[in-house]
Amino acid sequence: MPTPYARASQEAPPVTPSFLARVLRSAGPVTVILAVASLFMGTAAVAQVGTLRVAIEPPVQLDPAFASSDSEIAVLNSVYDYLIDIDAQNDIQPRLASDWTVSDDGLRYTFRLAEGVTFHDGSALRAQDVVWTFDRLRDPSLELPTSDLYANIADITTSGELEVTFTLHQTNPFFLYDLSDNHALIVKAGTADAGTNFNGTGPFRVDDYRVGTRMSLSANESYFIDGKPGVENLELIFFSDQVAAVDAIRGGQVDLVLRMPTPLFLTLQAEPGIEAVSVPTNAFDLVRLRADRPPGDDPRVQQALKLLTDRDAIIEAVTLGLGAPGKHSPIGPLYSQYFAEELEVPEPDVEQARQLLAEAGYEDGLELELHTPDTGDRPTLAVVLKDQWARGGVDIEVIVQPESVYYSDGGWLDVGLGITGWGSRPIPQYFLDVMVACDAVWNEAHWCDEEVDRLIEVAGTTLDDEARAEAYLEIQRILLERGPLIIPYFFPQFGAIRETFENFELKAFPGRSDLAAIQVR
Amino acid sequence: MATSLASSQAAQGKPSRRLRVLKSLFERRSAAFGTTVVLFFLLVALLGPLLAPYGANEQILSEARQPPSLQRPFGTDHIGRDVFSRVVLGARDIFVLAGVGTLLAVVAGTIIGLLASYLGGLTEELTFRFFDSVLAMPALLFALLLMGTFGPSRGNVLIVITVAYIPIVARVVRSVVLPVKTKDYVAAARMQGEPITRIIFREILPSVLPALAVESALRFSYAIFLVASLGFLGAGVQPPNPDWGLMISEARTFVSLTPWSLYFPAAAISLLVISVNLMADGLKSVLQGQA
Repeated sequence: MPTPYARASQEAPPVTPSFLARVLRSAGPVTVILAVASLFMGTAAVAQVGTLRVAIEPPVQLDPAFASSDSEIAVLNSVYDYLIDIDAQNDIQPRLASDWTVSDDGLRYTFRLAEGVTFHDGSALRAQDVVWTFDRLRDPSLELPTSDLYANIADITTSGELEVTFTLHQTNPFFLYDLSDNHALIVKAGTADAGTNFNGTGPFRVDDYRVGTRMSLSANESYFIDGKPGVENLELIFFSDQVAAVDAIRGGQVDLVLRMPTPLFLTLQAEPGIEAVSVPTNAFDLVRLRADRPPGDDPRVQQALKLLTDRDAIIEAVTLGLGAPGKHSPIGPLYSQYFAEELEVPEPDVEQARQLLAEAGYEDGLELELHTPDTGDRPTLAVVLKDQWARGGVDIEVIVQPESVYYSDGGWLDVGLGITGWGSRPIPQYFLDVMVACDAVWNEAHWCDEEVDRLIEVAGTTLDDEARAEAYLEIQRILLERGPLIIPYFFPQFGAIRETFENFELKAFPGRSDLAAIQVR
Repeated sequence: MATSLASSQAAQGKPSRRLRVLKSLFERRSAAFGTTVVLFFLLVALLGPLLAPYGANEQILSEARQPPSLQRPFGTDHIGRDVFSRVVLGARDIFVLAGVGTLLAVVAGTIIGLLASYLGGLTEELTFRFFDSVLAMPALLFALLLMGTFGPSRGNVLIVITVAYIPIVARVVRSVVLPVKTKDYVAAARMQGEPITRIIFREILPSVLPALAVESALRFSYAIFLVASLGFLGAGVQPPNPDWGLMISEARTFVSLTPWSLYFPAAAISLLVISVNLMADGLKSVLQGQA
């Protein structure tokens, strides 16, 4: 058993030889000197002690406007701050904005920024930085992933050094969630090289970044949130292989792993000294058929593939029983107030599927290429589907590609039949806006249903909760009944931390987990 | 050294030379073991579908993750496929890909090597400097580059093996041709005005054959490894094909839950590669003993 780290605080334990020896063994001399020094300095806040080593995949894009993967967001969430944050319970929390007001018509949001916030270069955070950040994110000419999301913003103005007002074209019940989009980290106004200079206001500052290897960060001592960060040093160590990352935490080379495949989680559950954690999420694997060209443009083919898919068997085989059942819509059970609990997915029916295929002109069977990225459980899902669909005469050739290749150059939007992993988001509207709506940027199925479109519009603008829930229910009913989307499960996220640390809360989007909250036990 | 003496004596007589090579091979214990195992795997590859009780992608979910037992000698994997059946059916895949790939490389490499080194001069220089530049890159890296460019498929794996091993075979051929082509009988044939193809294939090729046989066996073992490596890295044969390398890659995250689905295909690769190497070693000492 590893010796617990000592946490120097106002109620620090007495400095006895045995205590020192214990600390020396576990934390190394430098930490001890700092810990002891902090005792004499009598600082008011909790002093940061220890080094937290986190295994993440190598980040590629570290400009907040472009970053998207868990590892990239994990880095940026430590270096920068969001205006507002979302906690593990999916509730809105203040971060750089300490409080806000909404006008009666729901169109004007005014935020007051926290006082005394400084960037790592020493300059003070001003309302102008917030305006600059969001103006950049919504600028259509930059073609950023966020320009659609923020197209509804009419105007952003400042009133004084620390007050920002957003004016909307249309009411948006989820506007606060939109402001906490993964990309919306506040960057200093005028920053030209956001991907490399790391001048954030966040809990950690970057000391050293070795591309592809590791990033060393140290605590931002003037961080504006009391008690954070909890550790003195943060080492982000890059592992492109999740199996290696899990081996590293088992071997004690890292303290925290943010993401791992299901079987490795099951393995770690039995490992002493390690706490394996899981959270239900709204992340899902989507199997979608392009609906704008044969054979997917025939609703009978869409229906037949749904009937050939044995969802319960997939949950058992692919997610090892840990996935939450999907109903072919991106609105999962995590959104308990919107999820259509009572809707039932029809039992698989090979005969009916064969008949539908025959009616569509494929009585001799159908040959399809199924493209999938090589990450997560997606290749397994593809192989299981091959077996299930073969029963109905649908012969799939599985084509597995590295994730970075599959999602680059729009190849994933182009293929006829593909599997896409969609990360969890705090609100269901996100998926409908970017993936299901006719003109959605990532409408990868190229499917357009006017009724669904109208309902998405209603749900995304009404301030009436009941009307929204009604629209979501109707969308779920329609997606179950027709359309080329197959969503068999929502998968949980798995992480693991060594028991020498505490205060770790894994979030549904693991990259948004708050590393600054973690402390040595 | 009794055996090598025996084999060199045996080489004096002309008829059924092949049989005698085989016999000497079996007189060496390690070579006998290697050859037997290779022949056994070949038999498995030929009879595959008759030996395998289940299909390669036949999934019985209710029987997923079962340890080895009498009914399931190698257990079942995470989605209920029979590991024994998959290993057996995968043997054919590896023999076809590695075998045919090696054969193509040996044939093409021999022809190019013979022609270029016999012709000499600029042709030889250009050919072999080009091959040197290809060989500067490790075979696996080269293979990954080609697979990345042309996309993963069975046909491309064949092409990759062929292209990767042609230079190596050609170099081995050249090392034998260089001393032989200055021999008197070659000069005599040339002065008699024999056509170049006849000189190359009738006069020179026979001297190359022993070295070629050894090289082919060695290449075959490397090719098995290359096919498995490509499968493991996801750049070769695509799922759900029962490729051994792919099986290991799929089973990797399950190593503590269903270790058998990892160990058996891994053992199959190791056993086959070691056996082919033992066979190649034996072949080498038998044929060198003859020379």
